[in-house]
Amino acid sequence: MNNAIKRKQNLVAYGFVLPFFAVFATMFIAPLAYSGYLSFYAHKLVGGVSFVGLGNYVRAFQDPAFLFGLGRTALILLIQVPIMLGFALFFALALDSGRARGSKAARLLIFLPFAVPGVVAVLMWGYLYGQNFGLTGQISRALGLPPANFLSDSLILFSIMNIITWAFVGYNMIIMYAALKSIPPELYEAAEIDGAGQFRLAWSVKIPMIRPAILLTVIFSVIGSFQIFNEPKLLVEISPTGIPQGFTPNFYAFNLAFVNQDLNYAAAIAFLLGFVIMIVSYVVQLSMQKKEVQS
Amino acid sequence: MRQGARRAAVAITSITAVAALTLAGCTADPGTSSTNGANPDSTGGASGQITDAEREAALNTPTDLTFWTWVPDIQEQVDLFEKEYPNIHVKVENVGQGLDHYSKVRTASKAGTGGPDVIQLEYQFISSFAQTGDLLDLTPYGAADIAGDYVPWVWKQVLSNDQILAIPQDSGPMGNLYREDIMTAAGVTEPPATWDDYKVAAEKVRANTDSYISNMAPGQGAGWLGLLWAAGVKPFGYDGDKTVTININSPEAKKVMAYWQDMIQNDLVSVDPDFNDEWYAGLNSGHYAGWLTAAWAPVFLSGAAADTSGKWRAAPLPQWDASKPASGNQGGSADAVLKTTKNPIAAYELAKWINNAQAPALLFSTKQNFFPTANSVLADPAFVDQKPEFYGGQQVNKLFAEISTTVDTDWQWLPFMEFAYSSGNDTFGAAVAAKGDLAAGLDDWQAALVDYAKQQGFTVNAG
Amino acid sequence: MTAQLTHVAAPPDKPSNTDKRRKGANRGRRSNLLTVVMWMSVLYFILPLIWLFMSSTKSNGDLFTTFGLWFGNDFNLFANIHDVFTYQDGIYLRWTLNTVLYSTVSAVGATVLATMAGYAFAKYKFPGDKLMFAIILGAIMIPLTALAIPTYLLFSSAHLTNTPWAVILPSLVSPFGVFLMRVYAADAVPDSLMEAARVDGAGEQRIFWRVSLRLLGPGMVTVMLFTLVATWNNYFLPLIMLNSGKLLPLTVGLAQQQATSAAGGGAQALFSTVITGAFLSILPLVVVFLYLQRFWQTGLATGGVKG
Repeated sequence: MNNAIKRKQNLVAYGFVLPFFAVFATMFIAPLAYSGYLSFYAHKLVGGVSFVGLGNYVRAFQDPAFLFGLGRTALILLIQVPIMLGFALFFALALDSGRARGSKAARLLIFLPFAVPGVVAVLMWGYLYGQNFGLTGQISRALGLPPANFLSDSLILFSIMNIITWAFVGYNMIIMYAALKSIPPELYEAAEIDGAGQFRLAWSVKIPMIRPAILLTVIFSVIGSFQIFNEPKLLVEISPTGIPQGFTPNFYAFNLAFVNQDLNYAAAIAFLLGFVIMIVSYVVQLSMQKKEVQS
Repeated sequence: MRQGARRAAVAITSITAVAALTLAGCTADPGTSSTNGANPDSTGGASGQITDAEREAALNTPTDLTFWTWVPDIQEQVDLFEKEYPNIHVKVENVGQGLDHYSKVRTASKAGTGGPDVIQLEYQFISSFAQTGDLLDLTPYGAADIAGDYVPWVWKQVLSNDQILAIPQDSGPMGNLYREDIMTAAGVTEPPATWDDYKVAAEKVRANTDSYISNMAPGQGAGWLGLLWAAGVKPFGYDGDKTVTININSPEAKKVMAYWQDMIQNDLVSVDPDFNDEWYAGLNSGHYAGWLTAAWAPVFLSGAAADTSGKWRAAPLPQWDASKPASGNQGGSADAVLKTTKNPIAAYELAKWINNAQAPALLFSTKQNFFPTANSVLADPAFVDQKPEFYGGQQVNKLFAEISTTVDTDWQWLPFMEFAYSSGNDTFGAAVAAKGDLAAGLDDWQAALVDYAKQQGFTVNAG
Repeated sequence: MTAQLTHVAAPPDKPSNTDKRRKGANRGRRSNLLTVVMWMSVLYFILPLIWLFMSSTKSNGDLFTTFGLWFGNDFNLFANIHDVFTYQDGIYLRWTLNTVLYSTVSAVGATVLATMAGYAFAKYKFPGDKLMFAIILGAIMIPLTALAIPTYLLFSSAHLTNTPWAVILPSLVSPFGVFLMRVYAADAVPDSLMEAARVDGAGEQRIFWRVSLRLLGPGMVTVMLFTLVATWNNYFLPLIMLNSGKLLPLTVGLAQQQATSAAGGGAQALFSTVITGAFLSILPLVVVFLYLQRFWQTGLATGGVKG
């Protein structure tokens, strides 16, 4: 290919890419950079602005509110994500096996919660969790059980995990189900001739074949866990002491900026959060690529 | 050639980035110093007052004002104002209650534009907004002339550093609001006079009914502080400049909380969060037989708990020392003008008129059942003799007027009450919700407040 | 959790194999146990939605006194709907229009930007392409919510907050969309087609707009849907960017209305209005998803016939 054509093509390519990159730079790189810049300063109610270098970051690592928030996020990663993905996988396999009646309807209904906007889902569960007058309370009493206070300080984290699970099992299930659908039938025929039952089939054939889809859901869930904001923000009114300022790092950044008037520290927390997400996601992505190479 | 093109690629990326950054850098400053914006038609400084001609001109120019307040049904007072000044149109917006409202005010004030002209501002937050310089000094507009119209201790609350920063609306003398029917059913015939009596009454209510004598919401910082106020405790101090006094875990405060810890741990009072659907339903159903709160309480009960109207009575708070009756204040608001307003004269007039002219000021007491701060309303028979249906015809205003005289007038606030309340929830409030050690909760709160104050550059006296 | 990355469907030309498998030995062997377990689980997912509908039919008083999963004493649905639309001079409709505006403009804009960029990465080799793509991949990792506060700070200093642009501009950036379009374009637009067009004398731009774009359709729909849903459901960004009641999308408006109800007092304590408003707000997306379900089924079925 001669140079003139190559050059022309390169220019065209840049032309296609430039619009995206222009907006990307202003809406992504610029805020990140600005956040970094702000994070090197501190603003005091008495004394105004001063340069503090890495002071805000040092403060973050010694800040129990921030550390507890990270801890809660870790708990969510270790408890909620596996449970949610486990259920999604179970339902996907169950639907794919064709052994349950009404699979099509079930598939749609399990997916339905995903169509509910997050804010509405949280508001709704807020009502449901009412100990005395909410649905959970009513059902408990109808069953003769003492109604648990799902909004109490000790249970609120698990209640929030429940909301997230409820909303996203369907979505993850659909991803896995679509992957299951694209497994070539020849593999099954071979296994069935060998007399494999459904469970064996699932374990040895189906799950390994959809590993990329499963890992995709893992990475989305990991990213999502770091983003949790709606739940604490919308539930803090009905659980004011169960949801401290630093409930999740995202929520902490919000409170720092808008309640504590500590915008610079908020910028540091936001920047740090982005950094942590990037590291965790790269780790997951790398292991995903390694597995793809292997298989 | 390839190198050149690669350089071009990198150049595209970096140029757009740098351009964006430079743009940001030019407009940005690393701090969040408050806007001390000059107002287009403010002429007065420390000495200057606007002239009558300027006032007339402004009030006759078609103007649009935005008023952020969460007072329910305030449209009636605003309608009266618009009738008085037909050229001024007011848009009333409820952007949230309490902390939500204040954070939006700060956002708008920092942005410089798109914010409200007049805002509702509780007394407890005046110093917080004064400290950040968001409020317009009302002295040049004639506010000093109406000083005498208001109860002295309330007027003191709206002053800071020789500036008048808000016009008082209502105050919140605390009393014991109770459901007479439930108390009678429990065998409590008289409202408790002392806290010891209160405990006995609480035991009767628990024993004979399904109700609690009161609910002590863990997140209701203003309520808890009001109870401390009534006990003569003074946890906060601020000299208007750089020094704060923080003493929330003093022995006196701990003594008050020891009483409540006992009440909570013996299941004599409930600790449900308030101002949510469950809580309203609880009030509606009689799950709570009373509420230790301020005079403005009925306005919140007349909506979601409307069915209980007529069954409530008011009495003074139980006392620590029956010979020295004392009460506290919980809440109560004023109306302030933001410095970022484009129409300071009209905005001042709105804030002033609805709280100062007789008709609208009286309306706050008859419609919203607020406790007034204007002397003329306090003396008005329409107020004094009022027999609200909510209280089954009891002449509550006389009662609250008496209570009001026993409110300790030396109370002060910290200039960062948003943080104070928020950290209170996380520390003291959490202890209440857990029915645990309230003294330890106070210690944690103290630590959090002192930390924050020091970090923000204040000089701290930690009693 | 707000990871709204809709991985909408396997491209419709992938064959469906379930039918083939069903013709095998498993035909007719249904498990009752599995069916029961399945449907009990389904109950968990739809119970809250049933509650939402039932509550929309109740008056404020009945909300807390009647059983959540059945009707109240009166059928108040239409009265509630009327309240929703007349509350505060019909601001609910305004919120709905805002939501539609923000999400469609963002979706269209994001799709255009992502398609052009993804196409370029897929079909052209140019210096720096690997670096740029790596940067974009990295950006997928950082969710919009982590950027919201810095974006707010930036917009605030540029005095751009409290405008529709404050919500739309950040939503135009869809790194995942670029990734998707790159993958899709690599498959869907054959190099041979492009070469043939070049031989015919067509310029690159013409090739893109006349030839390639048509082939990129399904991928573009995916990206458009993904950004539509993400912007529709976004709460954090509009919460901090917007102050005026008139500019709010449904998410922030409903949340604010809930807070106002909770603050109580006078005519504002109407939980039934909030709940009915919430119920109405889920209908559009439910309908869209139901409609798309048919799209998927057709695609998968067609794939089955083809395959």
